[in-house]
Amino acid sequence: MSAILEVTDLRKSYAGVHALDGVSLAVEAGSITGLIGPNGSGKSTAIDCISGFQKLDSGKVVLAGADITGQPAHHIARAGLMRTFQTVRIYERLSLRDNLAIAAQQFDPATWIDEFLRTRRYRQAIDKAEVRARELVELIGLKRYWEIETGILSYGQKKLVALAAALMPHPKIVVLDEPVAGVNPTRIREIEVALADLNRAGETFLIVEHNVEFITNLCHRVIVLDQGKKLAEGTAAEIHTDSRVLEAYLGMTPEMAEAEMRGAA
Amino acid sequence: MKLAIALIAALAVAALPLMTSSNYIIGVGISALIFTVAAAALNLIYGFTGLLSFAQLGFWGIGGYVTALTVVTFGGNFWWGVVWAALLNAVVALAIGYPTLRTNRHAFVIMTLTFALLVTLIARDWVDLTRGPLGIPNLPKPSAFGYHFGTTGQYYWVAWAFSMAMLGFLYALCSSRIGRTLVAIKQNEPLVRAQGIAPMPYKLSAFAISAAVTGAAGGVFTFHLGIIDPLFLDFYYMQTFLIIVIIGGAGSFWGVIAAGIALSALPEVLRFSADFRMIIYGVILVVAMFVMPSGVAGWLRERQLARMREQLR
Repeated sequence: MSAILEVTDLRKSYAGVHALDGVSLAVEAGSITGLIGPNGSGKSTAIDCISGFQKLDSGKVVLAGADITGQPAHHIARAGLMRTFQTVRIYERLSLRDNLAIAAQQFDPATWIDEFLRTRRYRQAIDKAEVRARELVELIGLKRYWEIETGILSYGQKKLVALAAALMPHPKIVVLDEPVAGVNPTRIREIEVALADLNRAGETFLIVEHNVEFITNLCHRVIVLDQGKKLAEGTAAEIHTDSRVLEAYLGMTPEMAEAEMRGAA
Repeated sequence: MKLAIALIAALAVAALPLMTSSNYIIGVGISALIFTVAAAALNLIYGFTGLLSFAQLGFWGIGGYVTALTVVTFGGNFWWGVVWAALLNAVVALAIGYPTLRTNRHAFVIMTLTFALLVTLIARDWVDLTRGPLGIPNLPKPSAFGYHFGTTGQYYWVAWAFSMAMLGFLYALCSSRIGRTLVAIKQNEPLVRAQGIAPMPYKLSAFAISAAVTGAAGGVFTFHLGIIDPLFLDFYYMQTFLIIVIIGGAGSFWGVIAAGIALSALPEVLRFSADFRMIIYGVILVVAMFVMPSGVAGWLRERQLARMREQLR
């Protein structure tokens, strides 16, 4: 058991409101960890602070033994943490192929001179990236869109492109911000299977998501945030029966939850 | 294939002075070449990187004055003047770009506009250096290897060689992975950062290169005119570069080249009706923008996309 990502006592406030009030969490290498919580509980702020998109007030973020606290986003990405965004971000006016190529380019040894002169080093680097990109495109099932501008894809497909892009440089950990929000149910199942496969192949994920079923099916560990604090942590089954979680997240007592589950069954 | 066509077109363009002896037509040709280069440089920073820079007018003016002063005041030759114009502009662009590019895109536009106005003021009011509104007349045409480019027809070769070199360089840059990264920064800067790429060095370099090329173009154009005065910083030039980029299609290298040639020639072609020519020119631009809001290249691209959607259905 070794943590690839260790976050200690993260604090962040906006104009006196504590968005994060001392959150600590750890993600084991090779695991899928879920981060859930009601709206405004600080999930998105947490991953924005971890990935360098927001300045944190205090706390410590360690990625694979290296302190990355407060570094700019591009440094953190280079250190091996790739992320996606809640509202999908891809290069809509570039082809799927280019979308994936750009995601990996900072991680190859080609300099601007190599790129300008198209040297051997540059050509080798892009050939290598292309092999990886084709693998990932196969995995997400968007092979036929290889040369096509990603702007014409559906919302769910765009989420898959963002996921594939994050995986391009073989990152140490991938942070997914609501990977299935706004995606239709069949597609959710596909994403679930793809993530499970990738995890078996050794990828580590930290997933922020509202879809409880999705989180339950996938995650080895689940962390629950509420009002900027960690409310509970455990396996999905443990979280499901935790009375504090049910109350904060679902507004239910354990008895009500049990009754509802019986009703559904 | 594209490059072969470009090469043939370049050689055809080079032959203009052999086809006509009219200094007027050759002069229009020189303007077309130089304006196309300046527009291609604007395209690098605006079309590719997404930063609307009005500083181009300032760089154009600085380039013109530096080249003229190198020859007239500092006793250098024209070629060094153009080199100095490029270098000085690159340094100026780095100096104003570094703080300005940390702000947002809107602030950048305002800052570049202010810079252009400032350069105009300096050209007019720093009389000791620029001779103010009187300007610097009688700029001598350059020579190289004992050959004097004395006539407009001969100077056309200088403008041609300069343009081809600059456009070749800009093409190599825009079509490289660096160009694609600039486009990525324009489209989605947070994503670029999330992928480990620092946008600042890219933006700053694009701005500096754009400034250097524009400045050198200003230098070459000044010696075609044979005089430099504050009118060289007339907004007419900025407007021309911007119209070329927008009509050609911001972010499309070849679209802007084609528009550069076409739009430099258009007002001259319309001279058959001296009274109405600028009105007709304006109407053509307005109609073009109605029909093709993203320029010629954007229009072609939309059609291609529509076909793709059809095929994927």
